[in-house]
Amino acid sequence: MSHYELLLVHIGTVLHLQYLVPLVAGTIAGVIGGALPGVTITMTVIMVLPFTFGLDPLQGLAAMIGVYVGGSAGGSITASLIGIPGTPSAVATTFDGFPMTRNGEPGRAVWVGVFAAFLGGALGGIFLIELTTPLASLALKFGPWEFFSLFVFALSMVAGLVGKSVTKGLLSGAIGLVITVVGPDPILGTQRLTMGLNFLEGGFPFLPVLIGLFAFAQLMPDVEQIGRGGTTDIRAPKAMKLKVSLRQVLWEILSRPFLLVWSTLVGVLIGVLPAIGGSAANIMAYDQAKKFSRRPEKFGTGIPEGIIASESSNNANVAGSLIMIMAFGIPGDAVTAVMMGALTIHGIQPGPLFISQHPKIAYGIFASYLIALPLMVLVIWIGSRAWLHVITMPKSIMIPIVLVLCVIGAYALGNSMNDVYVLLLFCAIGYAMVKARIPLAPLILGVVLGDQIESNMIRAVASDPDPWLFLTRPISGGLIAASVLSVLFALWQHRREGQRLAEADGDEPDTDF
Amino acid sequence: MWRALSRDGVAGLVCLAVSLWLLLLTRGLPPAIMVPIGPAFYPRLVLSFMALLSVILIGLDLAAARRRAATAVAAPPAAETRPNYPLVLATFIVFGLYVAALPALGFRIATFLFVGALQVTLDRPRSWQRWLLVVSVAAAVTVICQLTFEDYLSVLLPRGRWSGL
Repeated sequence: MSHYELLLVHIGTVLHLQYLVPLVAGTIAGVIGGALPGVTITMTVIMVLPFTFGLDPLQGLAAMIGVYVGGSAGGSITASLIGIPGTPSAVATTFDGFPMTRNGEPGRAVWVGVFAAFLGGALGGIFLIELTTPLASLALKFGPWEFFSLFVFALSMVAGLVGKSVTKGLLSGAIGLVITVVGPDPILGTQRLTMGLNFLEGGFPFLPVLIGLFAFAQLMPDVEQIGRGGTTDIRAPKAMKLKVSLRQVLWEILSRPFLLVWSTLVGVLIGVLPAIGGSAANIMAYDQAKKFSRRPEKFGTGIPEGIIASESSNNANVAGSLIMIMAFGIPGDAVTAVMMGALTIHGIQPGPLFISQHPKIAYGIFASYLIALPLMVLVIWIGSRAWLHVITMPKSIMIPIVLVLCVIGAYALGNSMNDVYVLLLFCAIGYAMVKARIPLAPLILGVVLGDQIESNMIRAVASDPDPWLFLTRPISGGLIAASVLSVLFALWQHRREGQRLAEADGDEPDTDF
Repeated sequence: MWRALSRDGVAGLVCLAVSLWLLLLTRGLPPAIMVPIGPAFYPRLVLSFMALLSVILIGLDLAAARRRAATAVAAPPAAETRPNYPLVLATFIVFGLYVAALPALGFRIATFLFVGALQVTLDRPRSWQRWLLVVSVAAAVTVICQLTFEDYLSVLLPRGRWSGL
C-alpha cells in the first residue's frame, strides 16, 4: 500500500468509536486544560496519562494527541477573552487577542485564533506526513557515533536556548544525565550510585520523575500567590457575545496566505528543535509577522495578523514535535516526552525504526493528529460558553485533583509505591529548581536521552576504541561542531541581551551567562 | 564571602556537593570487563561535568555579588509581595502525609482525607455551604477515580494495609 493509502486506511481506523472516544475526550481535556490559566498542556497530558494505562497504545496516543492539539488552541481562548494566556504557547495571542476583545470583538478574537490554529495545524500536518519517513530513513544511516553526537547536540541546544543562563541550562541537562546513571549500567547491569537502597536498583523510572518535576513546579507558583493578592479563581466574562460570521473570519486568515505559511514554517521548525516548544514558537512567529508587516505600528492594538501568527505557529509546532519523536526518538517538548514514556510502557521505542516496525501506530498518530484538528474546532464551537465556566474552577479544588491524578499516574506504572516515593522526591526537586530559576526542559531531555547517550557511546567505543571517530566521521563531527556552536551562540546572545538591557535601563547586565 | 551568595550560588553549592559525593561513590564500581570503558566511566564523566558547571555557577555568582554590593546603596530594593511560603510548606506536608498514608489506609480513605484536607489548607471554608462543597468534592474525586481506574480501566490503585480497602 502507498503512503497515502495507508494514511486513509488509518484515518478510517481512528474514526472507529474505539479510537474516536479517547481522541474526543483528550481534545476536550486539552481545550479545558489549555484554557485554564496555570494548567499547561504538559500538566494536562500528565493528568490524562493514567487514563491511558488501561488502553491499547494507539487509543492512549490518540487521547494524548487530542490533548496536545486541543490544548494548543485552548490556550488562546483565555488569552483573547481575559488577557491571561492559558498556556505559555498562547502568550503572543494576548498581544492582539485581548485588545480585540476590549475593542468589542471577543468572538472575532477567539475564532481568528481557533481557525488560525486549525489551518496552521493542518499545514503543519503536511510537513509531519511528508518529512517523518525521509528523516527516519536518514536516521537509519546513523551509527552509534552519529546518534551520540545527535543527542549531545539536542541537549546542548536546549541547554543554551532555554532560560536566561547558559550555565544553568547546561547544569540542568547534566542533572538529567546524572539521574539516568543511578541503577544498573547498560552493558553488565552493575548497580551504580544506588546507596544500598533497593528501590533504586531499577534506576529512576522516567515518568514519575517527569510527573514529579512538573507537578509542584507548575502548581506551587499559584499556591505562593494565594492570600498574597493573587486570585484563586478567574472571573468568567459572562456578558461576552462570541457569535461571529465564521466565513468572514476564515477569509480574514486565508487572505493573508504568506503570513499563515510563514508562521506555520516557524512553528514546525521550532517544534523540530528539541524541547523548545510552542512557548518560543508563538513569540518568534509574532515577532516575524511584525517585522514583515506593512503596518507594524498596529501590532498590539487588536489586529488579526498578530493572532494568526501566534496561533498558526503554535499548532504547527505540535506537528514539528511529532516529527522529531517519530523520526529520531527525541522529544520536541515535555508533552512528547510524556508520549514517549507512554509508548515505552507498551514496549514501543520511538526512533528511526518506529515507522517500519509499528506502522499501525505511526500512521495512527498521523491520522489522530489530522482528525484532532477539526475535532478541536468542533469542541470549542459546541462548548465555548461552557468552557468559560469551567475555567472558573477555584485553585483550591483543582490542585488536589491534579495531585491525586499525578499519584495515580506514578503508582499505576508498576503498581508500586516506590514510584510514588520517586514522584514525591522529584516534586521537591522540581520546586527547588523553579526557585533557583534553573530551567526544567534540559533536565527532562537529559533524563530522556541519558541512557541512549551512554549506550551509543559504549557501542561506538566497543566497535572501534578510537575516540577521534566522534569528530572525524562527517555527520558526527558536524553535529559535535554544531553543539559547540550552539553553546557559543547562546553565550553571545545572552551577553548581547545583557548589554542591551544595561544600555536601555542603566541597570547592571545579567552577570550570569 | 559565602554570605554574599544569592540563590544561584546556593544552587551551585548544593549541586557541587551532590556531584562530589556521587563521584566518591563511583570509586567502588568494578573495572571494565567486556568493553573498553567500564560502568564507572560515564557516571564519572557526567558528574565531573556537573561539578565543573556548579563551580562556574558559584564563581559567576560571587563575581556578581561584588557588583550587587556596589549598586545596593544606589538603588534600594523595590517592595514586592512576598510569596506565601508557609502555604507552600503546608501543601508539601499534606501531600507528603497523603503519600505516607496511602500504603496504610489505601487509596479510597487516603484520597478522601487528602482532597478534603488540601482544600481546607488552600482556602479555609467560612460557611457550612463551603464545608459541604469540600466534603462533596473529596467524595466525588474518590468515587470517580475508583470507578474510572479500578472498575473501568482496570488500573489497580493502592490497597491499605490497615483498612484492607
